[in-house]
Amino acid sequence: MTVSITPQVHRSKFGVYQVVQTILGVLFSIYLLWRIYDVFFGHPSYGPDTWARFAISGIILGSVYALIAIGYTLVYGILFMINFAHGEIMMIGAFGGYFVFEALKNIPAPTALEPNLNFLNAHPIISVFFAFVIGMALAALSGYFLEQIAYRPLRGAPRLVPLISAVGASIFLQNAGQLLFGSQRRDYTNPVILSRGAGWNIKIGAGIVTVPYTGILTLVLTLIILVSLYLLVQKSRMGRAMRAVAENKTSASLMGIDVDGIISRTFLLSGALAGAAGVMWGIHLGLVYYFVGFIPGIKAFTAAVLGGIGNLPGAMLGGLFLGLVESLGPGIMGIDFQLKDVIAFTILVLVLIFRPTGILGEVLSEDKV
Amino acid sequence: MKTLLKNGLKAGIPFGIVSIFLFLIGFNSTIADIILKFIKIDDKTVVFGLTSRPLALLMFMGVIGFWAGTNSGRKIKNKTSSVIILSTLAGLTHGVLVALVSYTIGSLSESGLKINTYLAAMLTQTIKLFLLDKTPLAGAVFMLIFLTIMGALGGLVSFSYDRANTRQKMVSGWKNLTVKINQQPVVRHIQTNPLTRYILYGLILICLIVVPLIAGSYWNYTIGTVGIYVLLGLGLNIIVGMSGLLVLGYVAFFAIGAYTVSLLTAPLPHHLMWNFWWTIPIAMLLAALAGILLGIPVLRMRGDYLAIVTLGFGEIIRILIKSDLLTSFTGGPKGVTAVGGPTLFGRPFSSEIDFVYLIFLAVLFAIFVTVRLQNSRVGRAWEAMREDETVSRAMGIDTLWQKLLAFAIGAALAGLAGVFFASRNQFTGPEDHSLMVSINVLSVVIVGGMGSIPGVIAGAFVLKGLPEILRELENYRVLTFGALLVIMMLVRPEGLIPPSRRKLDTNQDAVLDSKKQDERPE
Repeated sequence: MTVSITPQVHRSKFGVYQVVQTILGVLFSIYLLWRIYDVFFGHPSYGPDTWARFAISGIILGSVYALIAIGYTLVYGILFMINFAHGEIMMIGAFGGYFVFEALKNIPAPTALEPNLNFLNAHPIISVFFAFVIGMALAALSGYFLEQIAYRPLRGAPRLVPLISAVGASIFLQNAGQLLFGSQRRDYTNPVILSRGAGWNIKIGAGIVTVPYTGILTLVLTLIILVSLYLLVQKSRMGRAMRAVAENKTSASLMGIDVDGIISRTFLLSGALAGAAGVMWGIHLGLVYYFVGFIPGIKAFTAAVLGGIGNLPGAMLGGLFLGLVESLGPGIMGIDFQLKDVIAFTILVLVLIFRPTGILGEVLSEDKV
Repeated sequence: MKTLLKNGLKAGIPFGIVSIFLFLIGFNSTIADIILKFIKIDDKTVVFGLTSRPLALLMFMGVIGFWAGTNSGRKIKNKTSSVIILSTLAGLTHGVLVALVSYTIGSLSESGLKINTYLAAMLTQTIKLFLLDKTPLAGAVFMLIFLTIMGALGGLVSFSYDRANTRQKMVSGWKNLTVKINQQPVVRHIQTNPLTRYILYGLILICLIVVPLIAGSYWNYTIGTVGIYVLLGLGLNIIVGMSGLLVLGYVAFFAIGAYTVSLLTAPLPHHLMWNFWWTIPIAMLLAALAGILLGIPVLRMRGDYLAIVTLGFGEIIRILIKSDLLTSFTGGPKGVTAVGGPTLFGRPFSSEIDFVYLIFLAVLFAIFVTVRLQNSRVGRAWEAMREDETVSRAMGIDTLWQKLLAFAIGAALAGLAGVFFASRNQFTGPEDHSLMVSINVLSVVIVGGMGSIPGVIAGAFVLKGLPEILRELENYRVLTFGALLVIMMLVRPEGLIPPSRRKLDTNQDAVLDSKKQDERPE
């Protein structure tokens, strides 16, 4: 697969379609600006504390989206395929963390002061660490085997073929999750320190805004993971090999790079990120069930497209942006919070129509789009 | 010896994982019941101290163990002793994995832990059954020995046969067979002589008329469902199969059809009470319009993006239908009840038979339309577009227009299917239009053969008809669909009945590519 530097298909610059598109875009932007003005200054529907609450939850959610989106972007950058089952890998990671917490909860670790203490509450840091390690390892392994079984034999086949295979794998994993763990929603039992709802209280305006500890954990971990990932891709030998494979597989293999090995490692990496996102999702939002990965998966894909697919910083930005839009959007647009998923999908469609290369997008060559 | 050990482990571990997975989702006990349904084992029969249900389970496990043995034998050819050692090793690995897991779970369950709070299918009796109604240790050891023996037996059967070669022979044999059948004078006669062909059509028509009269109400309902899926499959076949646009939100058009008829004929929420027949063209038109409206912005994208955007569109439609915003218009999460049915000459369609005939008529109409389209200029343009969009554009095909046409026609057929679906069930709700419908229809098209009309019909029968016969496997249906999609792509991407015109088919590409990969030095 060669990366061509040819420009996109030449379209006439002032076709009817483009004119209509531009007019619609301008009208929509004006409407949006007016809404924002109206909501904040004209007829404020919420106080500043509520907006702060929305923004905080949006940033936390966005950082989880960013982690998942990077998984999509890594795989897409190398194989030019959407790993449709990525959300399900996140689900596997979430279940891994859940079972670690459940197991540790049943191990007694009594101290002199508290005889009923269990391991989970006695050593919360170790427990959380274990949960992340197990969740990430499980997810990474499932990503690896997914590639081995469902994608590797199809390399070089027409693009529809691996995509359908990915859809099939996604359905399979989802239903395997349902059959194994049942369809009921399970509560993530966090250590008491990390119990949901507890957090720093900050006074903003008239009310008190709580920044949850789970959210802080999520943010900090995301930052650490993102920085180390960036270093891995930019500085390490493996990262260089990954970039080379993404650029041109044939040349990379001629340079002595084990292309298949790099692809496997990419899937391990993206699986581990999805696993971390899954455990964060469980710890922060507290619910895990077989369908937990599907919607975040699609949204993270949206985020990846938003930032320009194949682009790592783009995926991070896209994730944060999507998280913010999802939490602030319904308030700004004055619509029901039930419809926040509709907003995410609408953004996806709009971005793909107006700027298919994303916010930070590289110019996508014909065969990538 | 070391490589032998390694190969044995390599061959045994996948089977071990599959067996454990099947055990954990409770598949084994279901299949034991099915085996008992087909093979009558007397309750009093006792073999090796086992009663009927464990015996049936053991039969199934035996098949898997046997397969593990035969599968491992393919690595080494013509060396009897090493093949048997290898297959025994594979069987042993398989057995050890299964025994370990079943022993752990069995003893945990004995100690009073409720496993099914974590693993939903692990009821106490399921675990008991898998351990063959023995103590955990005895059951696990029994299973271990049994699987090892079955692996060795499998190796015995497989030795000296070259599996890769056999598979190739099977594939080429199948192809030769189809060619041979086509060359038979009788078949040629049918194909070329219009008279015999019409007689054949007539026979099929008589079958279609007679079968619903014989079948009971339940089977007619099933036949109707299959028919609706044939309709949907034919529509999606135009979009995915003929024009090569992967659309994952096909259910949206189905929903538009179903809701059009529901809102126009039901007493609530609008009390319009229109005649059913009028709603059919309206529903088809609306669905086609939705297809065009969705198509205009979306069709400039290719492949993967199109798939995700259409998937998003399908979800948007479902969320909108459910939302409070539109509850007064669509009936919200509760759906629309008492959807009107058709009446003909003053006689309402009440029984399933009437609907089956109606659906048959619609299916015949759809087949007629798609066959005519496929052989027309439009159909050829679609196929050119599917094979290579840039080239087809260079050949002067207005691809955007052709895509819109494909979208509109495919959507209209989905709308038609939606009308029958809602009207037959006299109900429609948002959960009837979940993503699963899109996936089911896609499976129908892909399993049948993308772009092939007989394939779609066969696919609908296989995926929607067969599961009705094996109702016990209901829980595992969607799982099988997922696995089937992957397996079809790996093994036979062209489907059960591939279209005849497709010369440059996907499989050929894959074969060429895999050959290229094989040639690469390790």
